[in-house]
Amino acid sequence: MEGETTSYPPIEPSTFDLIVVGTGLPESVVAAAASAAGETVLHLDTNPFYGAHYASLPLNDFVTFLQSHSQPSEVPEAESDDSIPLVTRSLYSSLEISSHSDEPLKNSRRFNIDLAGPRVFLCSDSMIDVILKTGINQYMEFKSVDTSFVGDVDGKLMSVPDSRSAIFKDRSLSIIEKNRLMKFFKLVQAHFSEENEEDRIPEEDLESPFVEFLTKIGLSQKLKSIILYAIVNASYDQDNIKSCKDVINTKSGISRLALHHSSVGRFPNANGAMIYPIYGQGEVPQAFCRRAAVKGCIYVLRMPVVCVLKDKEYGTYKGVKLVSGQRLFSSRLILAPSFTPLVPSTAQASKSHDAGHTDAKEKVARGICITNNSIRPEVSNCLVFFPPKSLYPEQIALVRAFQLSNNVAVCPPGMFVTYLSAMTIDAVEGKKLLTAAINALFSIPFSGNDGSRGIDNSSENIEVKPTLLWSALYMQELNKFQGALDSISNMVMPDEHLDYNHLLDAIERFFQEIYPGKEFLATSSQSNEHPNYADSELDS
Amino acid sequence: MPSRRRALLKVIILGDSGYVNKKFSNQYKATIGADFLTKEVQFEDRLFTLQIWDTAGQERFQSLGVAFYRGADCCVLVYDVNVMKSFDNLNNWREEFLIQASPSDPENFPFVVIGNKIDVDGGNSRVVSEKKARAWCASKGNIPYIETSAKEGINIEDAFQVIAKNALKTGEEEEIIYLPDTIDVGSSSQQRSSGCEC
Repeated sequence: MEGETTSYPPIEPSTFDLIVVGTGLPESVVAAAASAAGETVLHLDTNPFYGAHYASLPLNDFVTFLQSHSQPSEVPEAESDDSIPLVTRSLYSSLEISSHSDEPLKNSRRFNIDLAGPRVFLCSDSMIDVILKTGINQYMEFKSVDTSFVGDVDGKLMSVPDSRSAIFKDRSLSIIEKNRLMKFFKLVQAHFSEENEEDRIPEEDLESPFVEFLTKIGLSQKLKSIILYAIVNASYDQDNIKSCKDVINTKSGISRLALHHSSVGRFPNANGAMIYPIYGQGEVPQAFCRRAAVKGCIYVLRMPVVCVLKDKEYGTYKGVKLVSGQRLFSSRLILAPSFTPLVPSTAQASKSHDAGHTDAKEKVARGICITNNSIRPEVSNCLVFFPPKSLYPEQIALVRAFQLSNNVAVCPPGMFVTYLSAMTIDAVEGKKLLTAAINALFSIPFSGNDGSRGIDNSSENIEVKPTLLWSALYMQELNKFQGALDSISNMVMPDEHLDYNHLLDAIERFFQEIYPGKEFLATSSQSNEHPNYADSELDS
Repeated sequence: MPSRRRALLKVIILGDSGYVNKKFSNQYKATIGADFLTKEVQFEDRLFTLQIWDTAGQERFQSLGVAFYRGADCCVLVYDVNVMKSFDNLNNWREEFLIQASPSDPENFPFVVIGNKIDVDGGNSRVVSEKKARAWCASKGNIPYIETSAKEGINIEDAFQVIAKNALKTGEEEEIIYLPDTIDVGSSSQQRSSGCEC
């Protein structure tokens, strides 16, 4: 309503401790943490919605956002001696949309599509702890991820036996495999139980590659693959240690496994280790923003910042100028990863970036598929992992796929949304990875206008695959610019991981750097704030 | 399990900045630092908790996110009977709600309109008549209308009763779709275990 920024009253006061531009998850967490620590915070966003690169959007808006952030921005007004223009850099590239049916776009508003998918919460991870600690769980509701599968070289999906009961129920494992796996889980449990010193896994094993440890204790190739990719979530081929970019050592492998196991059963009615927020991951930054607002942070959407103001004499950061013309001042500025002040040195970097010289850098290849049916009839929300070499012999990176249904309110009934991602250094390889996974999971109508090869003809595939209705593939940058001036910091891009743990670690470290000695998101004094809340059902 | 959620009803209050919760929720707490206020309401032998969401100041620059609107069981539109513009904007707020929350049955979504601050200046500064307000409510599908003075506590309890009654009319079908197996992360945060549970 009256959405024109011109109708906004001037922002008061005009001086803050901190100005944050962009409402992506890292910016929102920092705004909430700074507000809770007593700082005065102004939080701005160019968009009419919250979440920036972490938003969940209706299908049309999702496409528009990707398109507008795939183009190099125009260089705005020239630098003067007291201001530096703020440029938007394109974080997405190689966007490719294929539409095989009108139905998804006709129902655009019934979708909540994550820009940073696939992403889930592990029930015991640190992000859930922060959500509980700050009380923002009251703003969100979650549903279970029903199950996980691993794709094998024959194109079959096997369930992931990730807990004792799942091992029992599993029909694809031999008795020997079941025993070995059970023994291994017990070994890890004993290592963390701290009861017996001799139960600990020897230090030399902890430092060695996890894949070697798994071989040493006699797990089959199939089980190794399940543990390394479906549970520990390694991004690259662990069997090829020389060329692998992220060799997982035993220490981090088993702690990830332990996190997975402690997630199973943490919440009474969660089916497995993972949960997903109803209405999409875009709810998460919004919840942190609301938390910040409750603590006094001022929110202004649809308000672009045109330039950064600097002190004429010292050349230091002083404030920002808004599109409305208003000048606001703060001691510190935090920018979403898509913004960078165009000082001469970064101008250079920005140019070379736009010219496409970033191919050697790792990117995340992301994909969204809308289908008419579930990957498995009995399952609503599930993960599928395609380990290296499972899709084609030269496949070096893991492909993750995450299907969601209408029961988490991200799509209309009768449709399913599947997010895909893989690490890559170039767009061609990235698309090859995603396309191979899409072909393995779905059938693509012949009438498609994307020139793809059409229905997978493999005769041994008796099950009818869901039909692909609509898809989008794109590459997302991972690198970030360093602050051009002291007191200006850029936040991080959505990373390649399936959960929030790495992001949260980075955000907390950043917060401690800029506010040494202040507590990162203090526990909310819920009992004081909600006098009647203690009696309510959610808290019982 | 559905009965679990039934007992907790999400109510959001909308209206022009300054007239929203500041006065309406005065007797419960101040708006600064407000998140939501909760109010137990007895209705037809059952106890319900109204979880009334404050705009937390995010309405000031029309910056309420879609998450604020989502899943609301009832939307309360508040205006100040002494300020014409706050009445004129009720329609904008109603439309904004219907766009953002996109309820499955917008025609029948339960709204409640509250004319607030009727006691100011002994009613002499009043510019919106009850008749005018009731006519608007009638034209929008018979929205229940109540006049209150939060400061004097006039009709506040009645307002909560009407809100509860209307909130209960809403979306039983929707809840059946979404809620049977939602994960209640707030309920078992103490049950941490370290290491394996396999």
